Amino acid sequence: MSVDETEPAAVGDLPGRRRLVVLVVGAVFWTWLLTRWIYHNAALDRIFSTLGLPGLIRSEVPVRDREPWLSPEPFASAADSVASFGHGSGLPEVATGWLVWLCDLLAFSIESAPALAEGAYVTVYLTVVSILLGLAIAVPLSVARVYGGTVLGRLSLAYTELIRGTPLLAQLFLLYYGLPLASVIESLGFVGSGWVPGPAAFVAIVGFTINSSAYQSEYIRSALQSVDEKQLVAARSVGLSKWAGIRHVVLPQGLRYAIPGWTNEFVYLIKYSSLAAFITVSELFGRAENIVTDTFRTTDVYVILALFYLALVLTTALAMERVAASVAIPGVGQPDGDR
Amino acid sequence: MSLLHFENVSKSYGDEEVLHDVSFQLDAGDVEVIVGPSGSGKSTLLRCVNRLTEIDDGVISLEGEDIHAMDENTLRRRVGMVFQDFNLFAHRTARGNVTLGLTEVLGLSKHEADERAEQYLQQVGVADQADAYPAELSGGQKQRVGIARALAMDPDLMLFDEPTSALDPELVGEVLAVMRELADDGMTMLAVTHEMGFARSVASRLAFLEDGQIVERGPPEQLFEQPQHDRTDEFLGELTDLNR
Repeated sequence: MSVDETEPAAVGDLPGRRRLVVLVVGAVFWTWLLTRWIYHNAALDRIFSTLGLPGLIRSEVPVRDREPWLSPEPFASAADSVASFGHGSGLPEVATGWLVWLCDLLAFSIESAPALAEGAYVTVYLTVVSILLGLAIAVPLSVARVYGGTVLGRLSLAYTELIRGTPLLAQLFLLYYGLPLASVIESLGFVGSGWVPGPAAFVAIVGFTINSSAYQSEYIRSALQSVDEKQLVAARSVGLSKWAGIRHVVLPQGLRYAIPGWTNEFVYLIKYSSLAAFITVSELFGRAENIVTDTFRTTDVYVILALFYLALVLTTALAMERVAASVAIPGVGQPDGDR
Repeated sequence: MSLLHFENVSKSYGDEEVLHDVSFQLDAGDVEVIVGPSGSGKSTLLRCVNRLTEIDDGVISLEGEDIHAMDENTLRRRVGMVFQDFNLFAHRTARGNVTLGLTEVLGLSKHEADERAEQYLQQVGVADQADAYPAELSGGQKQRVGIARALAMDPDLMLFDEPTSALDPELVGEVLAVMRELADDGMTMLAVTHEMGFARSVASRLAFLEDGQIVERGPPEQLFEQPQHDRTDEFLGELTDLNR
């Protein structure tokens, strides 16, 4: 078996035609999603209104009243016709039932898509902001762990184990219900007005940042430890201080080694971010819950929801593959061939 | 005044004494080659000079100045080191390997550093590989970049820790040629190597180290032709046979 075959399978590895299908579906999904976000974006609405185009962006429409851009009608009537054909022909229920369900599901997807698009927007910014802030904390944490000596190393370890050892939901509840964090954030004034998300979203970002920084620091720590020690010795031998050596020699290599593990954490966070719904943030999962409450179509809603998460996760995995390829250096972070 | 002076230097790792009461001096322009069996303390001796290893006892001075009174980063700027397995920065090109110390330690601008790197890569004959990463270079090219990296800092003294032992035999010559040129240019060098041809023709002095002690030290002809100790004769004889 060659080295390539042991690499984890990903969308980017698919052969020609299947890859094309995935890319086309992805392009359609993202075009629709981005257009939806732009169409209801409050910041853009304000800009276009001052430019004299008040009707172009419709951020004032409440999420529940947003209309789909496709009519669900054809699928709904298709479901009806298949159902009545089924009854008339005397075929058993199983022969046509699945088709009725599928047509119905498509119609229902179209109806619920605008609200889910809004939820996906929140999920994306919660995740992206938190993973990046978490990274900014995780790098010094992991450096402290590996190079910080006894005191800094133990502090870093204690933080990591405390955060990783307690449930994220408990952390969020503590931050949101236990601490006056939300009211402090709200007192800043600009929070929740116009396009700025409400205090609960800020609390969620704080929680995810803290939680994710602990997991990220573990991935980065093990990556730093896999950098050959002699690299730092070489840096020191030309006169660099320990910290300069870490910054200019160890981190550039270690962070490249960390990309696969870091991608894993990113993908996890996309899904973990659904816990924000439990502190009242209307992200993707929260929107889906609302739809369940309105329609009682539990199974259908969660099937559609799963597809949304799947799309976000696959996109992230694909994007990170590109990132990894664009920063790749021969001999760093990949199996070293015999030269 | 000598450039490098070891006075009664000792070093132990736990109970094991690696260097025992080592004393010698090196004048500017000297090329000192150290030989000795594996585990005799050769590498430790080199690493003491730039304080990658700290000694337990004695004094090492560089141009009359005790190196333990110096800032270690200043010391290392003045003492270049070349490693057995190159230790090139894996994420930087050949040029980038040379420029890191120039920009971060000497404070040169990127442009100045690039120019100086070019000059030293030229000197060791790998200027055409300036944009290649270490993984794309042959062993001989890697080691020559390693030499350029140390040399570009304009050191007073160069340390070579078995610079050719990790190389395929056909690549040893190109590295030795660079070292020979350096010696001809008057660079002071302290080299651990078992290349006896190099020692004979280039070294101003040869030292035979065993069990952390200098058994015998003198001009290479003397050690090869009239060794004072049987062990020296035996060891150099074996090496010369191997080199043949």
